[in-house]
Amino acid sequence: MKANNIIQRKILLGLIALLVFASCVKDHPEEPTGTPPTISSGGVFITNEGNFQAGNATVSYYDIASGTSSEDLYAPANGTALGDVCQSMRLFNGKGYVVLNNSGKVVVVDPTTFVSTATITGFTSPRYLLPVSDNKAYVTDLYGNSIAVLDLGSNSITGHIPCPGWTEELALAEGKAFVTNKSRGYVYVINTAMDLLMDSIAVSHGSSSIVADANGKLWVACSGGSGTPPALYRIDPQPDSVEAVLPFPSTSDSPWRLTMNSTKDTLYYLNGDVFRMAIASAALPSSAFVAAAGRNFNAIGVEPQTGILYVADASDYVQRGTVYRYRPDGSVVNTFLAGTIPGGFVFN
Amino acid sequence: MSFAVRNYLLLGLLVLGFGPVVVAQELPDTVHLAKATVTGTRAKEFASGIKVQMVDSATLARYSSATLGDLLRNETPIFIKSYGQGSLATTSFRGGSAGQTAILWNGFNIGSAMNGQLDLSLVPMQVADRVSVQYGGTSALWGSGAMGGTVLLDNVAAFSRGLDVDAGASIGSFGDQRQDAGIAYSTARWASSIKFFNASARNDFSYANTEVRGAPRQNQRNADLQQFGLLAENYFRINDRQHINLRIWYQNSERGIPPTLVQENSTARQQDETWRMTTEWQRTGETVQWNVRAGYFDEQLDWFAFSNAPGEFSHSQNLITEAEMKLKLKPGHAINAGINNTFAQAISAGYPDRPQQDRIALFASYQLNSKDGNSRNTFSARQEWMAGKAVPFTVSLGSDYDLSKTLTAKANVSKVYRVPTFNDLYWNPGGNPALLPESGYSGDIGLAAKWKPVRSKMVLSGEFTAFGRNVDNWIIWLPGPAYWSPQNIANVWSRGLEARGEVHTRVGNVDLKLGVMTSYVLSTSEEAKVANDVSVGKQLIYVPIYSGHADVAIVYKRISATYAMHYTGYRYTSTDNREFLEPFTLADASLSYAMRGGKSWRMEWLAQAFNLFYENYQAVQNRPMPMRNYQLGVRVLFNKPVRAVQVK
Repeated sequence: MKANNIIQRKILLGLIALLVFASCVKDHPEEPTGTPPTISSGGVFITNEGNFQAGNATVSYYDIASGTSSEDLYAPANGTALGDVCQSMRLFNGKGYVVLNNSGKVVVVDPTTFVSTATITGFTSPRYLLPVSDNKAYVTDLYGNSIAVLDLGSNSITGHIPCPGWTEELALAEGKAFVTNKSRGYVYVINTAMDLLMDSIAVSHGSSSIVADANGKLWVACSGGSGTPPALYRIDPQPDSVEAVLPFPSTSDSPWRLTMNSTKDTLYYLNGDVFRMAIASAALPSSAFVAAAGRNFNAIGVEPQTGILYVADASDYVQRGTVYRYRPDGSVVNTFLAGTIPGGFVFN
Repeated sequence: MSFAVRNYLLLGLLVLGFGPVVVAQELPDTVHLAKATVTGTRAKEFASGIKVQMVDSATLARYSSATLGDLLRNETPIFIKSYGQGSLATTSFRGGSAGQTAILWNGFNIGSAMNGQLDLSLVPMQVADRVSVQYGGTSALWGSGAMGGTVLLDNVAAFSRGLDVDAGASIGSFGDQRQDAGIAYSTARWASSIKFFNASARNDFSYANTEVRGAPRQNQRNADLQQFGLLAENYFRINDRQHINLRIWYQNSERGIPPTLVQENSTARQQDETWRMTTEWQRTGETVQWNVRAGYFDEQLDWFAFSNAPGEFSHSQNLITEAEMKLKLKPGHAINAGINNTFAQAISAGYPDRPQQDRIALFASYQLNSKDGNSRNTFSARQEWMAGKAVPFTVSLGSDYDLSKTLTAKANVSKVYRVPTFNDLYWNPGGNPALLPESGYSGDIGLAAKWKPVRSKMVLSGEFTAFGRNVDNWIIWLPGPAYWSPQNIANVWSRGLEARGEVHTRVGNVDLKLGVMTSYVLSTSEEAKVANDVSVGKQLIYVPIYSGHADVAIVYKRISATYAMHYTGYRYTSTDNREFLEPFTLADASLSYAMRGGKSWRMEWLAQAFNLFYENYQAVQNRPMPMRNYQLGVRVLFNKPVRAVQVK
């Protein structure tokens, strides 16, 4: 009986020791080693959405000459995080306009230092920014049912142009802004002098992407839906009419992220894989330029000087994404890491 | 107080916890009703080898104006993913996801058919008389979802009490006000009670916004909560062999969804309305016991993304019917076998066609106890069919073995599974009807000790458990080019150690209890989910590796006081483990005083303070939590007995 007691006491002591030691072990993760941002000309900004409500949106920078990348430009330069869901960025008149969707703000930065010079607030859920004159820009919105008009001098919202649904990318042509719409079957046309919605062009449902080609025509990508097929549209901005339609064979197709090369004669887009087509082509390309092969492609960009294609893979969307650089012949130049969910390239 | 100092305090408590101190009993003035339970054979008699934690009544009393989320966060090693005071709270148990903890109310799984989860912040503690936690895989007993562990909420009948009236009210920081009132009447044959509860809070606490330059102090906005509900219970003894009961739990909650630290503003709102009704019939014979039960659960959730937004409505109904029979073969041998049908339908913006799901399960357990009672073993099996298709056959084997009067060894192995939810299967776009159930294996081995030294008032108890679990076909939602879609792509290996120690003692007129609980959980991704996935071998997000609790309770006559510290270690927020949240330690204290007015009246005062040391912490990234805050409550209890009535 006595011996039994001693054994029990030892076991209890052992348990105590384990408890005490278990609470002493260090579990500190490795601190990320931050590289100080260097912003040379001849590089590319990569907007990283980050995770919804996580506030881990960043803008990365890749220096083409040295092949080095900085994961986050904003936090080291400003001492705070950029915000929640970085949707897009625009360079204009020596300023960088970074649109933070779920933060509901546009952060204005000096693109040489990434130091913030102003913050524009008052949006519902901003998506893309388009300068329409030297001191005026439009910002589309997911929930606002309107497009915000910005005064770039005072960095404030001066008005709203009512526009139904989820307005997405927009482009300027012939003094008009053409606005895609993810929740409608139209591209809306805005008179930029009067800030008025003037016209709408019927396209497939769910347009998200719009770019201008060398001939001044506008290309629009639609995901389809509501009985309309996924399709690429070519629009003549004068007089607001559809010139060509290239429908996709399956409703599971979903073209987006239209991107032009610097000479604006070759179009790239994502549809799971990366596709490339000449603007003169009368048919959609039948095979991919870069097959996704299990990767989650989320953005593309074309380096203006070389035509090198940048493709961002978001991996599982909860870790750093990888950017691939492809030569026009389809071979890989190199890869580098960006931030979480890389979603856009802005060449500097 | 610095982080280091606090850690030493915590450590000090741990060491002190095992100093030469003496015993304990339950705190006086705790409600001890003569209670007879109708449910729970499976949970009690066919759960050998499973680590079970019962929350004692003194602890429950402290949470009478709190939610299930508050209780589990402080009293169990379950990590509660809380989005803020009054906001969504879900579980991560032993490294599992929210849907991998089954939450049972009187034996019925009350997880949502739509997302497989239960928002613990919407479960007031008034709805359960007893709370216990089963650790580890119990899918063979409870079916889908019981992978990381199971939380059991039970109501128990109180017969022959006469008239009971119970009313409580509390006020707290940030406009927190709660009231409840109940009346119960029981004779030897029947017992009826109805309880109403109401809560409202502004939750406009102040916090430092560390995501904004200069970390300015801000007040939480749009975090208000209004909730009311009722619980009605009726128990009837048809004769001395048969019982029948009916329970109804209704609840309506409306709350604002506050902005994150990185959002300019939020005007989102959410409204939840639930009806939960259960009925049960039991017949107890010499050798055979029958149970037939049915539960109807109606859940409506309305979400408004911003003010004036068109609402997004979702509405589901679950009908669960179950029949089981327990047969005593001979001493130490018993069989429990039954059939379960779970029918669910739901309608939402994602599935306007109101999909339906019908699941049938057959389950059986065999209990084999040694003649001396020292060895208790259970073998269980369950086969479920979902829409006619068999889900993985599930078995479990568990044993308790008394090594001595002091020591009990426990071990169990179990197959575990979770069927995909309505959102996983049917959400348009993205829902994947080809999804397979998550399935895997879970095992535990543990040693529990309870020791009362001779000629001492001290009682020492402790439990040490090691567990492992591998889950394959783990469902992850990934965005595609057009929409998110769930896939069976992750394989996760979870393993860890849990330790619990308690000392009860008595020094002079003072009862003292010291407790400590620690847990170590590794839960790692084992296979690359996609290309360029560097998460292999890395910890899942929102699973703390280390967590610990230490508490001390002192009872002197009618006064009792508690002090507790809760440590939560690093939690990663990115799957490559490069982003993380800082650890935090929270300290809480309570003081209560009970007054008596003759035999019939009792009044209990309870004052509590939370986050005593102003820890600035986040359970979920960018979701601010309140600094030090208080709650003061009072409860009045009245009883008028009836003359005892003999049951024929």
